[in-house]
Amino acid sequence: MKRLNLSLLCFILAFAAVAQEKKRKPSAYNQAKQSKENEKFLEKQWWLGFKAGANLSKATVEKTYSIIAPTNYDASSIGKKYDNFNLVGSQATIEVSFYYKRFLISFQPTYQHSRFAYTNQFVWASDDEVSNRVELNFNQEQKLDHAVLPLILKYDIYGNKLRPYVQIGVYTSLLLNATKSITATGIDNAAGGDNEFQNEPINVGAKDLFAKNHWGLLGGAGVNYNLGNNVRLNLDVMYRYGMSNISSTENRYGSDRLAGVGDALDDLTLDNLSISLGCLFPMRFLSSGFKTLDR
Amino acid sequence: MFKKVSSLLYLVFSISILISCVEESNPQFDIQSFTTIFDSNKFDASNFPIEMRQTPDGGYIILGGRKLNDSNFTGIYLLKADKFGNFEREIEVEQTSVNPVARFTELQTRYYFFCMDAITQQAQIASVDANLEAVTITPVQGGLTYPAAASFVDNNFVLLGYNNADKQSVISILNPDGGILASKGYSIGTGEDIEEPIIQHYIRTGRQYPFEVGKVANGLFYFNGFYNYTFSLVFSDLTSDDPIGVVQGQQDDGGFSALLPLSGNKFASSRFNFGDNYLLPNQDLSTSGITSSTDLGGYNLPELEANAKVRILRATVDTKNVLIYATDTKSKQIGLLFYEEATGKFISSRYLGFSNPYEVSSIIQTSDEGLAVCGTTYLAGRFPRICIYKLSKEQLISDVNK
Repeated sequence: MKRLNLSLLCFILAFAAVAQEKKRKPSAYNQAKQSKENEKFLEKQWWLGFKAGANLSKATVEKTYSIIAPTNYDASSIGKKYDNFNLVGSQATIEVSFYYKRFLISFQPTYQHSRFAYTNQFVWASDDEVSNRVELNFNQEQKLDHAVLPLILKYDIYGNKLRPYVQIGVYTSLLLNATKSITATGIDNAAGGDNEFQNEPINVGAKDLFAKNHWGLLGGAGVNYNLGNNVRLNLDVMYRYGMSNISSTENRYGSDRLAGVGDALDDLTLDNLSISLGCLFPMRFLSSGFKTLDR
Repeated sequence: MFKKVSSLLYLVFSISILISCVEESNPQFDIQSFTTIFDSNKFDASNFPIEMRQTPDGGYIILGGRKLNDSNFTGIYLLKADKFGNFEREIEVEQTSVNPVARFTELQTRYYFFCMDAITQQAQIASVDANLEAVTITPVQGGLTYPAAASFVDNNFVLLGYNNADKQSVISILNPDGGILASKGYSIGTGEDIEEPIIQHYIRTGRQYPFEVGKVANGLFYFNGFYNYTFSLVFSDLTSDDPIGVVQGQQDDGGFSALLPLSGNKFASSRFNFGDNYLLPNQDLSTSGITSSTDLGGYNLPELEANAKVRILRATVDTKNVLIYATDTKSKQIGLLFYEEATGKFISSRYLGFSNPYEVSSIIQTSDEGLAVCGTTYLAGRFPRICIYKLSKEQLISDVNK
C-alpha cells in the first residue's frame, strides 16, 4: 500500500510538471538573448519531492529515574542499559526546496517512526543458600511516531548530472504516538533447578509519557542524480541531534501499568541517523524540453 | 516572490515557537507525583509497612514490621525516604522489642508508636526522630500487654491491648511518657478457641484483625476488637464494668474493618461479613445498647478481597470534603474510592498497581495537598517490598471532580 502511494505521488508530481510546462511555452527570441535569460532563469529553482527510508536511534540519558529504590545495594547495578543504533525505524518525507546559486533552503516535513530499547536486571539472592536466587531481566522497547519539521540549508558542492551536497539545519518534532513493550524473562533457581521463565509481554500506549514536542540540530550529506527527465534521484543521509528532553517530566509516573512493573522513563535526548531515497521534481520550467538546472 | 519569502519567515517563526515550548526538567513534578519501591536484594528479606507519616522536610517516615528468624513475633522496621521518594535510611530495631502497632503519631518533632517486649509481651512506647537518628523505647506502666492498636487523643495516647491472663481486651489512656491515666478491661469470653485468632494475629500466622481504638465526639472511647466472643465495636467510658454500647460482629467472621468518627454518632466505616465487604461512608452508629453490624447494610463491593484491609482518610480536595477509602482488590491492586463526606455519595475510583501484587497499608494527605499511599508490593511476584504511590494535587482534583 505504501509503495502504491509512492507511485501515485510520483505520477501526480510528474503530471503537474507537464502541465506547468505547457502553460509556460516561450515565444521565439534570438539566441543570445535566450542564452542570457536561460542563465538568469537557472539561478533559482523550486523543487518538490518525496523520499523515504530507514533510521536508527540513540537515546542519551540526561538524568536517570527509577521506581526501584535499593536499600542495601548500589543503584547502578539495576541501571538501564540502552541499546543504541540497533532497532530500525522508518521515515517518509515531503521535500520543498528553493534553490539559489548552489544554496537551497529546504523544508522537509517528515513522518518518523523511531525505536529504541533498554534493558535492566534485578537479582535477589540468599547469603545462606546458594540455590535461593532469582534473576529478572526486563527488555523495554519504545516506539515513537513523530512529525518532524526541519528547516535545512543545503549547499550543492559541484556537478551537473551528479550533484553531491551537504546540509545543516534545525528541527522540531511533534509527538504523534508512542507505545512501550516490556518483556520480562528470568531464572528462578529457588524452584529446585534452573527454571527459566518468560512473562507475557506488556504492551501499553505511552503517549502521555513522552514530551509533546522536542527539538534538535541536524546535519548530513547526500547526492542528487539527474535522471534526464526533469526528475532527480536523491540519496540523503541525515543525523538529527536531539537538544531537548523527549520524556514528559510531568507524567513520568503517569502509567500505573508501567509503574507497577517498576519502570520510569529517564530524561532523554534522542539522536537519529536516517538514510532516505527519493525523487525531486522542478517546479519552474524554461522550455518544451523541460529544461531545468541540469543541462 | 514576496509571498514565498513571507511563508518561509512564517515557517521559521512557527518552528521557533515550537522549540521554545520544549519539555523542561521541573523538580516540583518529581515531588508532586512519583512511585517508589524500596528493594533489598536479600532473598529472605521480608518487610511490610504499617503506617506512614510525612516529615517536616517533605519526606516520608514509615513504620513497618520485619520477619524475625528467632522470634514468633514481627520485628520493628523503620524507613525514611526523601520528598522525591528516594531511600534515605532504614533501621532494624533490636529484636528485644517486637510487634509494632499503629497509629504512628507525630508529637513534638518525634514519631511515637507502641510495641512490646519480646519476652514478657509487656507494652512499650517507642519514639524516633524524623531523620531516624535514634529510637527510644520505654515500658508502659501498669503491666499492659499485647498492644493491638493506638491513637492520640486530647494529648494522650489511647491504647488497646490484650490481657491473655484474664482474657480481656484492655483499653487504656496513657500520657506520652507511658504513665497510665485510666484503663478498663472487657472479657473476650472464655475458652481456648476464642483466644486462638488473637494469638494468630500477633504471630501473623492467621488473619490480621483490624483492631482500632479512639474517642468519639460524645466523650466515649471506642475500640474495635474482641468482646464477649465476638469481634465488635465497643463504646466505653472507661469507668463502667460493662460497655456503654456494643455493635456486634459475627464472632470472628464479621465486624468493622475500618472506622473513622466524623461528627456526633456519624462514622465513615467499612465492615466485613464472612468474606464480603461493605462500605458505609456515612453511617450513624448507636454508641449505647447492643446493635449488630450485619444490620447496617452498606455498599457491597465484590471486587474487593475477602475480608479486605480498608483504610479511610478524611481529606479536603479543592475545597471539597471527601472520604477516601483505600483497600485491596481481588486483582491485587490498591483501590481508591472517593465519596462525598456530607452525603456519602460515590464520586470516583482509582486503582494503583499492575502486574505485581499490591496491598495497601497507609494513606495520608500530604503538605502539597496531594495523596501518598503506602503499601506492599511483591517484586517478581514473590518478594514483599514497601512501596509509596504519590499522587499530585491535580490528580486528586481530577478524581474528586469526575
